Amino acid sequence: MQFGVFTIGDVTPDPATGRAPTEHERILSMMAIAEHAEEVGLDVFATGEHHNPPFVPSSPTTMLGYLAGRTKNIVLSTSTTLITTNDPVKIAEDYAMLQHLAGGRVDLMMGRGNTGPVYPWFGKDIRQGIPLAIENYHLLRRLWREPVVDWKGEFRTPLRGYTSTPAPLDDTPPFVWHGSIRSPEIAEQAAFYGDGFFHNNIFWDKGHVAQMVDFYRQRFEHYGHGRADQAIVGLGGQVFMRRNSQDAVREFRPYFDNAPVYGHGPSLEEYMNLTPLTAGSPQQVIEKYLTYADVVGDYQRQLFLMDHAGLPLTTVLEQIDLLAEEVVPVLRREFEARRPADVPSDPPTHASLVAQGPEGRHHLVQPATLPEDRTATGHTGAETTTRENA
Amino acid sequence: MTRRLAVISAGVGTPSSSRLLADRITDAVRSQVGARGEDVRVDVIEVRELAASLATMTTAAGLPIAEVEHAHDIVRTADGVVAVTPVFSASYAGIFKMFWDTFQPDDLDGIPVLIGATAGTPRHSLVLDHAMRPLFTYFRMRVVPTGVFAATEDFGAGAGGEQLTRRIVRAATELAGLMVTTADAVEGFVPTGPAAHGNRGARSNVRDGYDISSITPFTHLLAGHDGN
Repeated sequence: MQFGVFTIGDVTPDPATGRAPTEHERILSMMAIAEHAEEVGLDVFATGEHHNPPFVPSSPTTMLGYLAGRTKNIVLSTSTTLITTNDPVKIAEDYAMLQHLAGGRVDLMMGRGNTGPVYPWFGKDIRQGIPLAIENYHLLRRLWREPVVDWKGEFRTPLRGYTSTPAPLDDTPPFVWHGSIRSPEIAEQAAFYGDGFFHNNIFWDKGHVAQMVDFYRQRFEHYGHGRADQAIVGLGGQVFMRRNSQDAVREFRPYFDNAPVYGHGPSLEEYMNLTPLTAGSPQQVIEKYLTYADVVGDYQRQLFLMDHAGLPLTTVLEQIDLLAEEVVPVLRREFEARRPADVPSDPPTHASLVAQGPEGRHHLVQPATLPEDRTATGHTGAETTTRENA
Repeated sequence: MTRRLAVISAGVGTPSSSRLLADRITDAVRSQVGARGEDVRVDVIEVRELAASLATMTTAAGLPIAEVEHAHDIVRTADGVVAVTPVFSASYAGIFKMFWDTFQPDDLDGIPVLIGATAGTPRHSLVLDHAMRPLFTYFRMRVVPTGVFAATEDFGAGAGGEQLTRRIVRAATELAGLMVTTADAVEGFVPTGPAAHGNRGARSNVRDGYDISSITPFTHLLAGHDGN
């Protein structure tokens, strides 16, 4: 099971001092957080992509490229890469380059973005969000898997004889997650390709989380990638810890009350009751997050949002220490103890995908097999070749 | 067959004249549907009781809250809706709008709705057609032609009260007619699939969770997007 941190890169004033970090300070603090996450042995660092204040991470591959050179083990990811407004050709090239520089320690999470105006700013129509996500991602898959691509789609200039450079490291494209909060089409998309599904549930209650993940799992099985309980699932979460739970609540409350994403609406208690947000002792965090395996089944990745709402860097680094020392080891042990042997513990990595070889299903543009195809041919999968598709 | 009537009252006091009006309309709808040989199940939603949850939901990126979701289910599965609000500052009450703001634009396609409003004076009666009717037209609901407006004085004796009763019966008759209509058509003669949405008969109803039988398979979503 992978544990890690993800950041949205908000520049928010610290309510204790009233001072907001400069963008420069915030960017460097995100890098410090990522490096610290590696030092304490977390598995993943992921960054969001935003193109409007108060957020700074507009250029994830630049940030992750820097981190690729400064780290050795941690998986670098996005949370999310905007598949709707970015050119899929540029995504293919940027992230393939990153993958080379990071020695394969890269995966990425596709998302549609959560800021309406980002669509018109990049010349896109928000009403086409789902079709953009579908078409752009399919082109991305082809660019990463076919040496030469001819393409004509609805949303982009056609391509004739295009070769995306560099090709993915070891000719093995990065593993991709699809992040969605409430669109079943995106869960369906993840299931179709056998990609991971990340439910960013930080604002959502368990009932909805369970429903979306369950839907993805059933469709994963439908498309012939394995049993529903073997599908690759990730969840978000956010915590603030002190040894004594009252101290955690007291210290975190002004940050919660003033944070742009939470503030001035529901109370901290209401929010903690409904969502994964936990301000309390490490033990309380452990107890709450253990229940998520009951909600969504045995899952493969848990990311925590630690550096938001104006929390100072020193506090965030302390939080990451607590997470790595007291929370993750217990969660890891407990999650592994309940996991059936044939349910994967980790999502695919570059090494595991390379090990599958060029004939692995991951290398297919359309790896899905429909139930009717399986009964007709007697095959169990991997029969839709890239050549048929080209 | 039992028809389901959802009654939404946004009165803020207890007792509330909006609730009073809603109850009178409900009784009239019940007897009008009954007159067509059908039974009615009534669910009343007092928006006031949801006020805090609606505020939370609205300011917290749509965070679903169980009691609001429950109210949504009642409305989305209804065969007819009665919506009554007091008039504040020349329009519907803020909490009334807040309730409808928590729906998705296509949640309510084709559901018949009877609109009602209460105010201190008859001068506010245009709120029905200037505020409420456009709101429900936006949701593509079927707003019955007769709206029911009750000024305080209409709850007394006199001409106003008589007219109110007549309007209630007339509006209830219109709503009942829509509630018992089946919109089924001969197969093959009408468009089916997504284009047929809004047809109450064909309405596969309620996105009650992610029903696997109602999902568009990805091969259909991908059709035309595979770059060939």
